[in-house]
Parts: sequence; structure tokens; C-alpha cells
Amino acid sequence: MSEHTHKTKPADDPSFRLPASLGNLAIPLAIGGAVLLVVGVLIGLMAGPGEGIGPQRFTMSAYLVAFTYCFSISLGCLFFVLIQHLCRAGWSVVVRRVAEILMLAIPALAILFLPILFASWSSQGVLYAWGYEGYAESHGVPGEIWTEKVRYLSSDWFTVRSIVYLVLLSGLAVYYFKLSRRQDETGEVTLTERMQARSGPAVMVFSLVTTFAAFDWLMSLAPMWFSTMFGVYIFAGSILAAHCAIAMVTYLLQAKGAIREEVTVEHYHDLGKFMFGFVTFWTYISFSQFLLIWYGNIPEETHWFYTRLQGPWESISYGLIFFHWLFPFLGLLSRHVRRRPTLVFAWAIYLLLMHFIDIYWIVMPEVGPSLGGAGGVLATLLLTSGMIGLYAGGILWYTRVNQVRVLAVRDPRLPESLAFENI
Amino acid sequence: MTDKQDKKLHGTYAEFDAVDTLLAACARVRDAGYTKTDAFTPFPVHGIDKALGIKPTRLPWIALICGATGTCIAVAMQVWMNTINYPYIISGKPFFSMPAFIPVSFELTILLASFGAFFGMLVLNGLPKFSNPIFTDPRFDRATDDKFFLYIDAADDRYDRAGVTKFLEELGGGYTQDVYDDDSSTSSPKAIWVVLGSVIFLSMIPLLLVARMRVTTSSQPRFHVFFDMDFSPAKDAQMTSSLFADGRAMRTDVPGTVAIGQFDEDLDFYTGIDFDALTRREPVRAAHLVRAIADEESDDAETAATDESIETADEPTDAAAEPEAAEPEVTGAPEVEDDTPWLEKNPLPITMAVLERGRMQFDIYCATCHGNNGRGAGLVHRRAQRILAGAWVQPSSLHQDTLYADVYPDGKMFSTISNGIRKMAGYSSQINARDRWAVVAYVRALQASQNATLDDLPVDKRDEIRKLQAEVKQRLEEQAEAERLKAEQAAAEKAEAEAEAEAEAANGEAQAAESSD
Ligand code: HEC
Repeated sequence: MSEHTHKTKPADDPSFRLPASLGNLAIPLAIGGAVLLVVGVLIGLMAGPGEGIGPQRFTMSAYLVAFTYCFSISLGCLFFVLIQHLCRAGWSVVVRRVAEILMLAIPALAILFLPILFASWSSQGVLYAWGYEGYAESHGVPGEIWTEKVRYLSSDWFTVRSIVYLVLLSGLAVYYFKLSRRQDETGEVTLTERMQARSGPAVMVFSLVTTFAAFDWLMSLAPMWFSTMFGVYIFAGSILAAHCAIAMVTYLLQAKGAIREEVTVEHYHDLGKFMFGFVTFWTYISFSQFLLIWYGNIPEETHWFYTRLQGPWESISYGLIFFHWLFPFLGLLSRHVRRRPTLVFAWAIYLLLMHFIDIYWIVMPEVGPSLGGAGGVLATLLLTSGMIGLYAGGILWYTRVNQVRVLAVRDPRLPESLAFENI
Repeated sequence: MTDKQDKKLHGTYAEFDAVDTLLAACARVRDAGYTKTDAFTPFPVHGIDKALGIKPTRLPWIALICGATGTCIAVAMQVWMNTINYPYIISGKPFFSMPAFIPVSFELTILLASFGAFFGMLVLNGLPKFSNPIFTDPRFDRATDDKFFLYIDAADDRYDRAGVTKFLEELGGGYTQDVYDDDSSTSSPKAIWVVLGSVIFLSMIPLLLVARMRVTTSSQPRFHVFFDMDFSPAKDAQMTSSLFADGRAMRTDVPGTVAIGQFDEDLDFYTGIDFDALTRREPVRAAHLVRAIADEESDDAETAATDESIETADEPTDAAAEPEAAEPEVTGAPEVEDDTPWLEKNPLPITMAVLERGRMQFDIYCATCHGNNGRGAGLVHRRAQRILAGAWVQPSSLHQDTLYADVYPDGKMFSTISNGIRKMAGYSSQINARDRWAVVAYVRALQASQNATLDDLPVDKRDEIRKLQAEVKQRLEEQAEAERLKAEQAAAEKAEAEAEAEAEAANGEAQAAESSD
């Protein structure tokens, strides 16, 4: 339909604010999350599998799973915002603020990264096996190779890099959030132009940081294993999770009365398309990574997948094929599904769950051949739900306290987005 | 207007100035029940499908079905080719390897799905269509510029010319126009034919040239598209090269040097012959051999190898010739005692590592013919049997009495591997001496394994083996029983069938006799 048929509401319309029913959840969620997190850590330390540092290692790895899960969602949202500016996208303006709010969690998550950083300093290899001094000997890695490896995988250097990653990502998130919010007040078009102009370099920085962070934080769990595709693999999962999170949060906001008229079936349709597309992309990337290693059949590469084809990990590996790809692929294939917000919402939740399994499957097999027994599984689940509670509570709290609008009300492309139609 | 009367009427269209009026008009036309309608706009207008009441396209279904067909074809094709029709080991992967099939299946799915989408789109749109009578009106050209058009086809059930015109005008169509058959010339511009003709003609030339070359002979050398692929600049054995003063491409060892790993061993190690003993018994022969080997290593190796005279015959031919005579049952030649003083003992220390190495080399080089167990039924042999290769000699079973260490010393086995024997080629150029000795050691182990008694095994393994033996025995017995039953049944059936046939034949004869009466 033509653009002038839509009347934009005034910028201070209450439906652009976080609904009170959601805002009130902030504190309970955050506190509940923190409690669960602590309980999860305690259970992990007490009932985690293994001898000696085994339980610590298990708990820290589970913590890494929880952290990575939340972080990857925010990371994906940051990319979502950057890419919308990079392609001067019109359709997405009505949901972009949701992504902006989610990405703003990155600086906060940087604090939750501290335990991981501390663990990386342990000479026992509490989280990262490369920190353990006897690693080369106990794993039969030739001395000269190990000397070269630890040049990169040393705790000092790791710390420096992690800080650089977090600073750069936080910087991008804060910068884009601030400018976008300033536009809420002033409506300056130049702000959009500035954000667009900087999105190109920002995407480059983002890709490099994501790739290296994936290498350092996740791939280095198996110090001798390497896959140049690993960064893209993590990115694929993140961007998928981001689209799901945006769809889910938007749906919840609408259910509570916010941005009801602004976000239409058309926007869900597009989010659904991207969810479908990134399900396929994730599969494409993860299969490509597998195929090359499977074909090359070199022990130093195959061991990563070999580990994941033993014991309970095997069923999870096959489960990922069916439930992270085939099932959602077929489910989201039809336009009729993608044009029903409730179904899109349901699939978003489902895929966010699968994203957790994916991260879990990336991290935990490095700890040991078992899932960690009932105590271990419980600890993992508690840790993750705690982290999610903290994450969601924190985001809601910030949004409420700072009166952040859930819509970029004065974005110059808002009318275009409001009038957006697919067909 | 009069000349238009006898021309076919296709429909009527109206021109609109703005999208909104067009959309409103579309909705009205749809509501009035017209179905054969179309709208023309300079840019895509969202929502026009709904306004015109156009049903969602069936194209996605076509693409889906084509894509699924692509997947099925690709999987079926690969399974058939790789697993069933031409099972061929690639990269050591199983014949049925789903991961390897996926890229092709993926590509074919995409290919057929896009074909489906593209050609389906053409078909559903009735394309290609070179002209449309609606184009005759120059005013319609503005559909690509700044005007919007709504068209109602005469084929619509509700179409009547005057009514439709009035209706469209009411809806805000500033200008309405009936569409009649295009009366411009139907002949295409000559230039098109000229260009098309020339393209066809030119593209025939290579084909004609190829066709001509297929049926004529030529004294010209072949035309090489990729010269350096047909003639690799790398040198083969025995070729010349302008690079070196002596003109030879093959280089000899630099004088006074020894290849890595070949320094510390003696002549015995490279021949399998006990030279001390040989010198004591037959000094002349020993001297010949030493000289021949020395020659082979020196620049004169070629002459030494090609010279037929006994003086320069090198050890390999020598050693290879002797066992030939020693195998009367194969060659039928008079028995000649093989008196070469072969090394009795493997010069390598027999360790697990050596045996493992030997097993590896054996499985690579020997098992193809002799089989992994050494019984002489390797893959090559089985294939030779299948294709009924006439000149094929079955590789010897390595478990014959004549090949055991007591009558067939390790040195002799080493010589057989190095220089070959009768039909079997030598492997000294593929397997280095140390590995050949390792193979000898492994063959000995293999021989021992086929003659071991339970007492040769470690005590703790014996029970396990006994159990296995019992199991296998039982299974074999069951199998034999089943086969016997089957054979009996088959025989019974056959007898029955024969009896029937006989009875029938007798019947027939009787009838024939009757009818001839
Ligand atoms: C291309 C097939 C082929 C391969 C590969 C091959 N052999 Fe043979 N081998 C034969 C044939 C055929 C004979 C029997 C020759 C004859 O009787 O003319 C034979 C005979 C032998 C004999 C018996 C010699 C004798 O004096 O009777 C030995 C021992 C033997 N092979 C060992 C080996 C070993 C060890 C290897 C691996 C290095 C090997 N062979 C590889 C085909 C092969």
C-alpha cells in the first residue's frame, strides 16, 4: 500500500514503551537467575563428574555454555543492526530497536566473562586444556609443535585478546545504540547517514572479532584441533539465534500491548524467511566443516568429530541434523507458516532451544565422554537458565530504568517499514 | 473505427494517473466479478495481487517438486553408480558414503528447483510471447514510465465492450481504449534473419571441420590443445636432457655418496646371500656377483644389466634363475639343487615394530595378489578369475611346505621379493631393503599363524579361542545341515518334475497314436 495511508503515532505514544507487565519481571528474573546460577555452580562443583579438578572443569565448561549462549544472541543482534544499516534496509526498522536493546547486553556480558578469564589463568587447565602445563606430555604432542602453539594459546595473550574483543564489540554496540536513541529525540537524518557510513568498517571489525573470539573461546577447548570455518560456524548459529530472539521478543512485546500496529504480519514473514534461510546457512556451514574433515580423514582433524560420535554425544550429533536442520527446514518452508506470527514465535522458541543444544554440543564433549550424570546435567541446565534469567532480567531492567522505547520512532525509514509489504 | 469492426477484439484498458486510483479500481473490478484482468505499472506495486483477486501462484509447488526430484535423482544416481554398478574405493571411503553424496544432491536439488522456478514461471506466464496487441497503442508505452493501466480481457464472461468502457471511466480511468488485433506487418525485420542466419552458419563451421577431419586422414601431427599436458616437461626414465653435459635425464648418485639409510648395511643385507660362505665355496661366482652389484651402482649399471654374458650377469638374474630350476613341478625342468648359501636368518631384529612395518608393506604390495592371509586369493587373482584371464598364474599360497623357513631360507624369500620369481615381478624398486626384510619377517609370522596350535598361544587367550572355535564349528555344521536339506529338497522336486514330464510325454504319445489312427 502507499505510504501515506499509515499515520505515524506521536513519538511518546505509550505503546512504544516497554509494557509494565514485562518491566516488572526485570528484578525477579535477574535475582532468580542469579540464584539459579549460584545453585548451578554449587551443584556442578559438588556433583560434577571426574576426579581432582574434574568437577571444576565441568562447571566452568557448563558456565561457558551458558555464557556463550547468551553472548551469541547479542552478538547476532549486533550483526543484525550493522547489516541493516549496511544495506540501508527499510523493512526492518520496526524491529531494529528490539535487536539494539538485545545487543546492548554485550558490555554487561563482558562482566560475566570474568570467570572464564580467571579460569584461563589456571595452570591446571580448569577450562582450557592448553593452560595445563603437562598437556603436551600427557597428550603426546611433540614438544616443538607445542612450543609454537602456546605462543598463541598463553593465558596472558588470551587475556589481551579477549579484552580487545569485548572492548571492540561493546564499543560497536554502545555506539550504535546511542546514536539510534539520540535519533528518537532529535530525528536527525544525519545520524542514520553516519551509522550507515560506519557500518561497512564495523562489519569488517565484527567479522574478524567474531572469528577470533570463536577460535579463542570455543575452538581452543580442543587445543590441537583447528578448523578455519569455525568462526563462520559460530556466527551462523548466532545470527540464526538473533533472528529468533528478535521474533520472539517482538511477539511478546505485542502480546503485552506494545508496537501492535507497527509490526505486521509482513515483518514476521521476513523474520521467518531469515530464520529459514539461516537454518539452511547453519547447516551448510556445519556440514561443510564436517565434509572437509571427513574427506581429508586426518587424525589431527577428525578427532573433534570422533569425540562427538562417542557415547551420548553421538545421538546429539545426529539429533542436530534432524532437529536443528531437517525439522525446522521443513517446518519453515511454507509461506503460510511464516505469515502466521504465532507459528513464527513458536519456531523461534524451538530454534533458540536448538541453538542451546548446538553450543552445548560444541563445548561439553571436550570435558569428557559423558553428559556428567544427573548432577552434571542438572548443573548445566541450572547454569544456563540462571544465565538466561540474568540476561533477560538485566535487559528488561535497563530498558525500563532508562525509558528506552521499543521502536525507533524517528528513524527516517520508519514510514517505509510501516508500509512494508511482501506481496 | 470502421476498419476495426472486422478485427478481433481482445479487450479494453484504461489509464490511471496514480497508484491509489488504480488499486481502488482494481478492487472494484474484482468485486464486480471480473476475473480475466491485468494491471500494468511502471514499478512493482505491493498489494495489487490482492486488489485484483489474483490467487497465490502455484510456482512454489512446482519448485518444491522439482527440487525434491533433484534430490531423489542425485541420491539414486550416486547410490547406483558408487554402491551398486561400479563399486570403486575412493579415498578409502565406504561405497555407500552419504556425506560424499550430499554436495551433489544439494547442487542437483538447487539446479532442478531453479529450473522449475524459471521454466515454471515462463509457462505460467505464457512466455515467451513476442508481441501483445496491447502494445499497438503508443500511449500504452507509458506503462513503463508514469502511468498505470488496468486491462479487462474480452474473454471474460462478463465482458461487454460498451459496459466495460463505461465502468472503467467511472472508476477514474482518464482514457480508455479497446485493444484490437495488431495489424502491423507480421514479418520480422530482415536484419534479424540475416544475423540469425549468419550465427547459425558460423557456428556450423567448427562442426563441419570436425566432421571432415573425422573421415579424412592427415599427415599432419595431431593438434594439441594443452601441449604441456600431452607432453609433460618432466623426464621419464631413459630420456635425454640438454641440461647435463652427458645428455642423460636420469642422474646417477654423486660419486662417494650413499643414499640415506643405505650406508651401514653390507652386501648380505641387500642380496639375502651369505657372501662369506659363497666366497669360500665358489670364489668365482662370488666375485662375479660382487662386481655386478658394484657395476650396477656405478655409472655402468646399464651396460651391466643389458650384457647377456655370464661375466656381468648380476645377482638378481642369477638368483631369480636358480629357484626356477628348483621348482620342477611348475616348470618341468630337471631338478637342480639350489646351492646358493642363502642367509638363514633375518638380519633385522624381530620386534613388534618390524612386524607391524612388514604387515603394512605386505598389505600394500603383496596382499593384492596373495591375499591378506597369504593363501593366494587376493583381489587381483579373484578378478583375473572373473574375467577368465588366460595367461594368469595363481599367486602361490605362502603356506606351502616348500616355502617354510626350513627349506626356503629367509634370504631366499628376500631374493624372491627383491627380484621376483617366474611370473611374479620383483619389488626392489618399490620396497626398500629394510622393508623387504620386514616383509619376510611378517610372512614368517603369517605362516606361523596358519599352523599354530592352541599351545602356541598365551594361556589367557586359549579359552577365548576355544569358544570361538566351538562357535564356528557349530555354525558350519548348521550351514552344512541346511545345505543338505536344501539339496535333498531340490532333488525331490526335480525327481517329481521329471516324473511329471515323463507322464506328460507318455500322454502325448498316446494321444498322437490315437489321432494318427
Ligand atoms: C601381481 C601379483 C603378485 C604380487 C603383488 C606379489 N606376488 Fe608373489 N607371486 C605371484 C605369483 C603369480 C606367484 C607364482 C609365480 C609362478 O609360479 O610363476 C608368486 C609367488 C610368490 C612366492 C613363491 C615363490 C616360490 O619360490 O615359489 C612368494 C614367496 C611370493 N610370491 C611372495 C610375495 C611377496 C612377499 C610379495 C609382496 C612383496 C608378493 N609375492 C607380491 C604374484 C604376486
